[in-house]
Amino acid sequence: MTDKKKKQLFAWFGSLMVAFICLTPFIWMIVVSFAKYPDFLASENIPYVFTLGNYVQVLTSKDLHVLDYFKNSLITAFVVVIATVIIASLAGYAVSRIRFKGKQAIILGILAVSMFPQVAVVGYLFELMAKIGWINTYYALIFPYIAWVLPLSLWILISYFMQLPKDLDEAAMIDGASRLQVLAKVIVPVAAPGIFSTALLTFISSFNEFMFALLLTTDYHTRTIPVGIALFEGLHGEIPWGQIMATSVIAALPLVIMTLIFQRYIVQGLTAGALKG
Amino acid sequence: MREQREFTKKSGNWMEREARLAYFLLAPAIILIGGLILAPVTGTLFRSFYRDVTFLPPVKFIGLLNYKHLLTDVNFLQSIRFTVLFTLVAVFLETVIGLFFALVINEEFKLRGLMRAIVLIPWAIPTIISAKTWFLLYNYNYGLFNFLITKLHLSAKPINWLGTSYSAFFSIVMADVWKTAPFMAILFLAGLQSISKELYEAAEVDGASLTSQFTRITLPLLRPVLTIALIFRTIDSLRIFDLIYVLTGGGPGGATTSVSMYGFKLYILGDFGYGSTVSVVTFILVLLFTLIYLRFGRFGESL
Repeated sequence: MTDKKKKQLFAWFGSLMVAFICLTPFIWMIVVSFAKYPDFLASENIPYVFTLGNYVQVLTSKDLHVLDYFKNSLITAFVVVIATVIIASLAGYAVSRIRFKGKQAIILGILAVSMFPQVAVVGYLFELMAKIGWINTYYALIFPYIAWVLPLSLWILISYFMQLPKDLDEAAMIDGASRLQVLAKVIVPVAAPGIFSTALLTFISSFNEFMFALLLTTDYHTRTIPVGIALFEGLHGEIPWGQIMATSVIAALPLVIMTLIFQRYIVQGLTAGALKG
Repeated sequence: MREQREFTKKSGNWMEREARLAYFLLAPAIILIGGLILAPVTGTLFRSFYRDVTFLPPVKFIGLLNYKHLLTDVNFLQSIRFTVLFTLVAVFLETVIGLFFALVINEEFKLRGLMRAIVLIPWAIPTIISAKTWFLLYNYNYGLFNFLITKLHLSAKPINWLGTSYSAFFSIVMADVWKTAPFMAILFLAGLQSISKELYEAAEVDGASLTSQFTRITLPLLRPVLTIALIFRTIDSLRIFDLIYVLTGGGPGGATTSVSMYGFKLYILGDFGYGSTVSVVTFILVLLFTLIYLRFGRFGESL
């Protein structure tokens, strides 16, 4: 067999395995979400009956609060994305373009902060939020989330800004533009793909965050989707797998679709955050 | 002369103005990170020297007593052992499988675009959701795994996936590897694409086999990416919490309690002093591993 044939064989056989591994749990989630009896594998007497009931219950029941969790997750994530992108762009521009004392210390500080375990932050955060009466408010999630995602966002944006030639800034400044004008009118438009990847990754990590939300929210007024799913309780005692999986599909599908559509930006963001550091 | 002096003075002013602008632009980020991450972490560090239990006032400075207690705390030692072992096994498997994924989607063949999309799916699903799905897959009575195992006669009895300390360990590893191997694959793919094709062509001309092309060209040139990916994943694995919270809650009998989980449980019980001590150790553990990699990965050279 020639090397070329071997490679083709590897690619096709490998693809089969990769697809099997990656897709099985996802497909299973969908299969159970449409099952009238989610324990249909328990014995031959229980048939697989297709139903939309789980979705209907999850989306219409006032007591399950799935739509509330959704709303909370989306509001939090959107505010976090917008604030983070603005704050990280300003800071990233300063680090990549302006000479000032303490720059090295700031870069090292960002690196160090991204090593902290959440558990070393959450206890104090809880007390702080309790003291100012923010427990179970959006603020209790939004502010810590921004702080938590800032290091990675900064990292990605700094690496993008660094790649842009400094002539861009200088040309605009000779024409009399101020630094902030340069950032808004020259850098941001050119770095738009990088800013977009940052926004996507920020959205995903804030949508996924669990430990802070678990401790800082107490009910459906602010509880986010991950906490809602982790603590999902049926109305009738037994674990309502059909409903849990339906909720999971509703929450995961938009993220999966978004990831596939914007695949290029996400991959760029991940590799910029990790490799160019 | 005078002109020159005025020029330096002017440019000095300009540089000062620039520096002031820089601090101004950095201020929001620094205030947020400082106030909501650095300050809490510093607070946790201080608190680890105190006895601070909600139900047993008063709060009292006890120096290193909490740290001394760690050495004889069976639960803590178990959580350290679990976390380190989990990290070593999971990160190793993620690396191997991630590399396999990357090699597959780097090949030029018809389905490449589709495969690159498929690989991203586990990464895109939020951890809590994939954890719930795996929890269902592992179900003793009606989980897919036990169904397949008994149908294919691989085992006479269904497996109690999450019920014994050994099986729970591997169940958590499997679910974690599934979720994170794609991240490794994406980084490795970027590394593979930066390797010049001419190297392989030259090797082919010299009659090198595919295996020796892999060990002599691919692996050595992938090393910088490998080191960074390992650091990222190790830092994350040492802090594991979400997946365990859903799959086992730290059980059975505390066998799968990670250090993050242990610290969190102590907070919930109201023991903030000792919980802080455990959290500080979690951070030290992460730092230690990072330093080891930086040293042995010769990462410094690529900086």
